[in-house]
Amino acid sequence: MDNESTLNRVLKKEDGGKTTEKKRVQPKNYFDYTLLFLILFLIGFGLIMIYSISAYNATKYYSNATLFVKNQAKYAILGLVLMLLVSKIDYRVYIARFGIGKFRVNLLLIGFVGCLALQAFVLFKGDGTNGSNRWLSLGKFFKLQPSEISKVLIILLVAYIVYVSPKRLDRMTGFIRVVVFTGPLIFLVAIENLTTALIMAGIVFVVPFVTSRKTWYYIIAFFIVVIAALIFIKLEGYRAARVQVWKDIENAPGGYQILQGLYAIASGGWFGKGLGNSIQKLGYIPEVHTDMIFSCIVEELGVVGGLFLIAIYIILLVRIFKISANAPDLFGSLIAVGVFTQIALQAILNIAVVTNLIPSTGIPLPFISYGGSSLVFLMMEMGLVLNVSSKIDYDAVPELAAPLK
Amino acid sequence: MAARTEGRTAADRNHKKKKIFTRKMQAKFMLVFCVVFVLFMVLVFRIIYLKQRHGVDYTNAVLSHQSYVNTNIPYERGRIMDRNGAVLAKNVVTYNVILDPSVVNANNGMYVDPTVEAITKAFDDVSASEVRDILKKNPKSAYIVLIQGCSYDKVREFKRLQEENHKLVKGVWFETIFTREYPYGSLASHIVGFVNSDHSTGAGIEYQYDKYLTGKSGRESGYYDAELNLIKKTWPAEDGATIYSTIDVAVQTAVEKNIKQFNEEMGCKNIGVIVMNPNNGEIYAMASNEGYDLNNPRELTGFVSAEELAAMSEEEKLTKLNEMWKNFCISYTFEPGSTFKCITVAAALEEGIATPESTYYCGGVAELDNYKIHCNARHEKLTLEQSLMRSCNMAMMDISDKIGRTTFRTYQDRFGFGFKTGIDLPGEEKGIVVDKLNLNQVELATSSFGQGFNVTMIQMAAAYSSIINGGYYYTPHVVKKIVNASGATVYEAKNTISARTVSKTTTEFMRKATYETVRAGTATPAQVKGYLVGGKTGTAQQGVRQEIVTDNKYVVSFIGSVPADNPQVVIYVVIDEVNSDTLYNSSRPATMLTSSILKEILPHLGLYPSEGEIDYGINIIENAEDEHSAEIEKKAE
Repeated sequence: MDNESTLNRVLKKEDGGKTTEKKRVQPKNYFDYTLLFLILFLIGFGLIMIYSISAYNATKYYSNATLFVKNQAKYAILGLVLMLLVSKIDYRVYIARFGIGKFRVNLLLIGFVGCLALQAFVLFKGDGTNGSNRWLSLGKFFKLQPSEISKVLIILLVAYIVYVSPKRLDRMTGFIRVVVFTGPLIFLVAIENLTTALIMAGIVFVVPFVTSRKTWYYIIAFFIVVIAALIFIKLEGYRAARVQVWKDIENAPGGYQILQGLYAIASGGWFGKGLGNSIQKLGYIPEVHTDMIFSCIVEELGVVGGLFLIAIYIILLVRIFKISANAPDLFGSLIAVGVFTQIALQAILNIAVVTNLIPSTGIPLPFISYGGSSLVFLMMEMGLVLNVSSKIDYDAVPELAAPLK
Repeated sequence: MAARTEGRTAADRNHKKKKIFTRKMQAKFMLVFCVVFVLFMVLVFRIIYLKQRHGVDYTNAVLSHQSYVNTNIPYERGRIMDRNGAVLAKNVVTYNVILDPSVVNANNGMYVDPTVEAITKAFDDVSASEVRDILKKNPKSAYIVLIQGCSYDKVREFKRLQEENHKLVKGVWFETIFTREYPYGSLASHIVGFVNSDHSTGAGIEYQYDKYLTGKSGRESGYYDAELNLIKKTWPAEDGATIYSTIDVAVQTAVEKNIKQFNEEMGCKNIGVIVMNPNNGEIYAMASNEGYDLNNPRELTGFVSAEELAAMSEEEKLTKLNEMWKNFCISYTFEPGSTFKCITVAAALEEGIATPESTYYCGGVAELDNYKIHCNARHEKLTLEQSLMRSCNMAMMDISDKIGRTTFRTYQDRFGFGFKTGIDLPGEEKGIVVDKLNLNQVELATSSFGQGFNVTMIQMAAAYSSIINGGYYYTPHVVKKIVNASGATVYEAKNTISARTVSKTTTEFMRKATYETVRAGTATPAQVKGYLVGGKTGTAQQGVRQEIVTDNKYVVSFIGSVPADNPQVVIYVVIDEVNSDTLYNSSRPATMLTSSILKEILPHLGLYPSEGEIDYGINIIENAEDEHSAEIEKKAE
């Protein structure tokens, strides 16, 4: 830690040379409290909504109204601790090379290999939930979804590959190189969890796109991916069935959950039925506190409540955008771009599913949906972003500094 | 800012190692951000669209969910009682045990063992493994009928066990089911009728008075609010009304017992007995053939042999069932025969065509048109009374000839022949009477002694009642009153007089003449010791209008009243095709059966035998003329 800030100062010394003054006036470590506040707000909001929406089912089936909210709160606390911890670890540590025998490696590459192994392992040994092998039990109480780790890893990995040689991305081969590196992991995730793989692919697409000076390559690549995805959906039976449901939500036999969600959204009115007054949560929407939570938020808080939540997401994304734009180096910026992409994609896809704009697929609403694994790793990503923000050259960015003064 | 960026680009140029997020990259990221923003806006519009487009109908859909508990509270179907309050049809409360596996399986299955244990302890109908199997196979289901038609004792036992361990015994509840039960089984089956399992009714009072018997289902509706308080609203069920019928279980039992006995001793194709009150039209008993078990109305065993049953198609079975359910007394039409002579004589007296003093000559046979009509004997000279006592066809032909076809038809109409009596039972037939224009000499002649047209038993009984009760034709009925669930009488039979048939003087004569018929005429076997029985026999060959009569199909009957001088009870016995080589065309089986029935039922109806010997005059049973059918031959051309 201290070493890093010294390093920082040393870098600054090279640039400006006003070392003596800086030593007297202790430089403030920039920290994006706005972002922190937004995260805490979203998590708090999520806990309230989980309690409001899950209390009925929790009481009915487990005789414990606070079961889900307490569970989620435990994960939130764990996530908070991990987030603050990560926010104190210089993000450049992950790519600092060191030698093991003859090989020069860094933590990220070791993690990448480990993650590949884990993802392969879970395919064979994981616990099946709803017909998919996605979970890994660690002890009795802790269940882990390795694809969440993979998501974090892919953000760092893509950022790293691009950071190593950004110029290469000006050619098609550069992008292909990124795909070749990240492809195996995405593929392993995709076997059991296409949605997460899709989000990972989104990150792999957006980060090089942002870095590259070319645009058309990416648009072509984008369409290739879309066509490939369509073929994939056609081939896989249960996904094709979901498309059928999506087309005729009111009558299709499998559309119950989404249709009930639509009932919830449309019945909320402008200002909702009031916190805790959702009717659809009373057993009508299966798994309402997880992926479908947005529908009941709109039912209880109205269209206005839903728009408010979307606004919070946009503000959060703006903060991440600003951190990215002002990050001290390209690696930090690209980490922020990756996190940005992930949150944006998850929020958009989740709400699009709930409003039946796209076929049903299981994506949690970031920070809000019930689910420990997802929340903890998302918060660790936020820790990364916060760390990037803390490395911003405070004096160089007056408009960032302004709110702190 | 600008200066800083310039500095950066400069640094970028100078120090290749230091890679930063260039302006160009920022611009492209801005592009990504814009796309994201646009997508969010699409979502915003989508949400608003959903609200505007589906707000109303989806809100309604959700409101329909609010009634989380929406249970039907079944009503209890009204009971059917006999005239003295004996229960002919009632309901037995049973319970369906409903299993909610989604609740039992909840909480990591901690409820499974205690619940399964309580279920198997209380209900011996299911084994633990069966219950576990259901729980395993339908883990998400909320409604599985575990046991049907369970008694209250078992339910109470389960509730006790649940009380003991209410935290762990979960997911079991009960539905109340009313099952119709007929305590007397087959008794009065044709009058009471039955209810099918789908609540549709078949036959009898159950069918006729269904709208009174049917109540209104109640509803319990409620929803759980967010704190899981059940907000409940109950609309109680309205039970069906109780029907008091005019049937007397004791009388009905005696009648059915005698029919059974008769069938065992002699047997016949069809048999029907009506016992009614002539002074208001109330039916005390009405029995036909053998009754069927009302608790099991679709069971043909006992009516058909097992082999036959096995060979039957569904359609044949249904035909057979319909036959079994048919009420012979109101749905079967036949030629009444000599019992109709009462009506002919009464009509003649009313019209002044005959007087008690009139005399007739019987030569034993008469020729009309191309037909030779025989009398049962050569009676020579007869008074009007004797013509009834001896059942003389010639006298009747003489009378009807004088009455003429117009007046004769008028009287048929007045006595209700050719019309439904309006008895409150389904399936009544109206019979067939010969149209006035076709009532030529031969038809008129045969009609006068009850041949050549068809009637139902109930028509005959109602018409005869009016002759001996002073001329009041009461609509026969089987329901006295209906009392609704809150105790108010909602219907009371009004003893409607639908026609005046004869005058008091005619009644006086007929009472005496019918008494004489039983005392010393063709109906002597109908005598009951200690009672004044009046009545008239009948024997009729069926289908005489057909050109060739190949088989001897006779309907023998007796219609009578007790006491003859002031009738309180009318009984009508009709036997179709007696199973006997010697008595197949004799009224003896009918009169004997009548006597046997009357002996048993009269005390039940409050008519006790007189202390003193009733003077039936000289016992002339040995040489009494028997009632025989009129033989009608078509003359050879």
